[in-house]
Amino acid sequence: MPRLARTQQSCWDAPLFSMANVIHIIFLLLYCDTIHSETTSLPELNPVITIRKDLSRGQSHVKVIEEPAVLSPQTIELLCNLSDIPNNPPSVTGYWTKDGQEIENSKETVNRNNDQYIFKKTIQAADVGNYSCVFRENDAQVTFVFDVPVMKDKRDKPIVSYTGDTVALKCTLKHIPKTWSWYKVNNTEKDLINVTASPLKYNIIIHKNVTKLSVLNLTEADAGVYICSAEFDIKPIESQVELRVLSFLEPLKPFLVIVVEVIVLVTLILVWEKCKTRQDHNTATTENDVYPEQTSKLTHSDSNGMETTTRQRKLEQ
Amino acid sequence: MDKHAFTRPQTTLSTYLHDTDLYWKDMTIPMPPTSYVTDLVYTPPDGGWGWVVVVASFISIGFAFSFPKSLTIYFKEIQEHFIISYSEIAWVSSIMMATTYAGGPVSSVLVNRYGSRAVVIIGGLMVSAAMITASFATSVMHLFICVGVIGGFGLAFNLQPSLTITAKYFFVKRPIANGLAMAGSPVLLSVLAPLNQFLFDNFGWRGSFLILGGVLLHCCVAGSLMRPIKIKPAVKKPTHQSVTEVDVTHQTAETINRQGCVEKVNRFIDLSIFKHRGFLIYLVGNVVMLFGFFAPIVFLVPYAEQHGIDEHDAVLLLSIFSLADTVACPGTGFIASTGWIRPNIQYFFSFAVACNGVCHLTCSLLSGYVGLVVYTIIFGLTCGMVGALKFEVLMDLVGAHQFSSTVGLVTVIECIPVLLGPPIFGLLVDIFKDYKFIHFTSGGMLLTSGVFLFIMNYYNYRQLENKEKASKKELQISSANELPAREEANDKEAAVNMRSEEATYST
Repeated sequence: MPRLARTQQSCWDAPLFSMANVIHIIFLLLYCDTIHSETTSLPELNPVITIRKDLSRGQSHVKVIEEPAVLSPQTIELLCNLSDIPNNPPSVTGYWTKDGQEIENSKETVNRNNDQYIFKKTIQAADVGNYSCVFRENDAQVTFVFDVPVMKDKRDKPIVSYTGDTVALKCTLKHIPKTWSWYKVNNTEKDLINVTASPLKYNIIIHKNVTKLSVLNLTEADAGVYICSAEFDIKPIESQVELRVLSFLEPLKPFLVIVVEVIVLVTLILVWEKCKTRQDHNTATTENDVYPEQTSKLTHSDSNGMETTTRQRKLEQ
Repeated sequence: MDKHAFTRPQTTLSTYLHDTDLYWKDMTIPMPPTSYVTDLVYTPPDGGWGWVVVVASFISIGFAFSFPKSLTIYFKEIQEHFIISYSEIAWVSSIMMATTYAGGPVSSVLVNRYGSRAVVIIGGLMVSAAMITASFATSVMHLFICVGVIGGFGLAFNLQPSLTITAKYFFVKRPIANGLAMAGSPVLLSVLAPLNQFLFDNFGWRGSFLILGGVLLHCCVAGSLMRPIKIKPAVKKPTHQSVTEVDVTHQTAETINRQGCVEKVNRFIDLSIFKHRGFLIYLVGNVVMLFGFFAPIVFLVPYAEQHGIDEHDAVLLLSIFSLADTVACPGTGFIASTGWIRPNIQYFFSFAVACNGVCHLTCSLLSGYVGLVVYTIIFGLTCGMVGALKFEVLMDLVGAHQFSSTVGLVTVIECIPVLLGPPIFGLLVDIFKDYKFIHFTSGGMLLTSGVFLFIMNYYNYRQLENKEKASKKELQISSANELPAREEANDKEAAVNMRSEEATYST
């Protein structure tokens, strides 16, 4: 909800009104959803979903973003309601645009109806896109954005796996499609993956809105792009993921480099230390005489005092 | 360390050390029975090669603390691969951390026997081998055993010896050395996190584990830097002790090498350290503190996301936390080594813990992204303070000689709150559905622990002062009692002499 408010803020000038409108739209959508669920039991009827947006004084551009996922063939009616135009002319003209391009023969003259000007357009669910109704008088427009549902958790980076290993490719969607299918891209051609044809190689698990393709016994040939396709009545939604298959020698090279580096470092350190102690030993026959003196000094030293105080305290306790 | 040895905090470091010198001159210093003659008489270098050892400890401690946390990047992929739930795979990290703490006593025994260097090198080889084996894992159980158990023990063999050798090399500058060494944890975490991401993108989780095995071999490099302190067994001039005692100690020194393990295990099972009041206070305070210490870190990102901050900015908070931690660790070490704080280091530690608690209680009330950033910075600073002082105060309590054994016991007991804390808090979050609960609870626990440590340390020092005064009086009384007896003996002798003289004269 906060995210919606933020994006809408960036488009509009009237924040309070925007909130109210969003709530209005959401109520409409909920209402539409219920209509949709009611009518799915009767497939022969062609239900009409009405989406209505009201424009009032001071609003020039309204963008409606939250739209229901268009999943099955139906007729959608878009309503733009313009009210509070100064001078109250008897009619206004307007037209519709789709994806920024003006639709042919969509110019209409709308008559005033109780201080409201209602501009309608009927579209089919298959013709999804961004529709805008534009009023000439004050350049007010409403944009209906029809978003097709997108896959959740899209991976931009390829999945890396190794020869002989198993890998699981996963696709998730918010809505439950009719069915899922997997394809492998083979030189710009999509090959359907048939589990029954090669059961030792592939395994597809479908669980409502999640699907998993397990590729067993990977080889270099299995590398490439895989497409998961969610089938709906109107058109399928696809997402792709890239699979890279490496041999085990690939990470072995940097590993061996690091091992060699570590061995070199350790050897250097130990050799240097040995040389140093040999040096000290050779030059330090006098040190042996010095050391006992030092110990007598050290009995007065602070560290000894501290150590033994703690030990003494320990013994006492 | 006795607090009353530093009763004048305004004096500089050198003068108060001199004062303790004078103080202990009059006392007879009895020879403890199971002493390691090699550790008894030497001056810690406080510099020179010690700083190289600090670098080595920095690496070892860094790997020990940050490596289990950095593995979480791979969990999603491994979870998909083995088809298990997230909580199952999260056990890998938990087992690794638990074993790092629980392996303390084992590594203490080994350090006492073989010295820090060998143990760290073995630890590095163990954890490296564990990761290499894990890259060929075919089930989750393999990961639990390889990464969790063997890897955990390897890290335990890194953590404990690093602390021990830092204590051996430093005395005066020990807080600074400890602060610098403990800074390894946040620094290595901020290095390992992007490294792991890079490795994962290019090599998948198996290849990454293999390469991480190589990276962990740098613990062996750190181990090779940990030159043992060469101290000849001191030929003792019997100043305060009798000659027989010296012979006994020489004998024990020899038999120690032969009895070796048994002697040390006996020391361990002996558990006489539990009679040490200061140590018990430290232990109780730390256990309570650790229950509430880690939970806010673990839940920082979800807490931020609940406040509407997107994932990228929330992860940035963790980097800010690491940075504050990195700055605070050596800084606190430096402050703690000043003449004013060093005698009162127990109080400083309790102050740091209490600050951490207050930070959670108050700053978590700040809202908005800026408020969250401020909270994270202060949280990081206080965490760094606590981290830097945690082992320093233990060294201060028991001395470098016993530290090796004690820290093993401490980590084993601390393993319980470290493990149970975050899951219990997670459970509470699931019940109450609000992260504010975590902040208030952990803040409360930390504050309680800090106040407890403060009060109990004050009580402890008072008790010790009273004891010293009592024992001083006894000495005076005993020497006073001796005087008339001696005079009597002298008189008697004189009388005998006179009588014998008389006798000679008379004859």
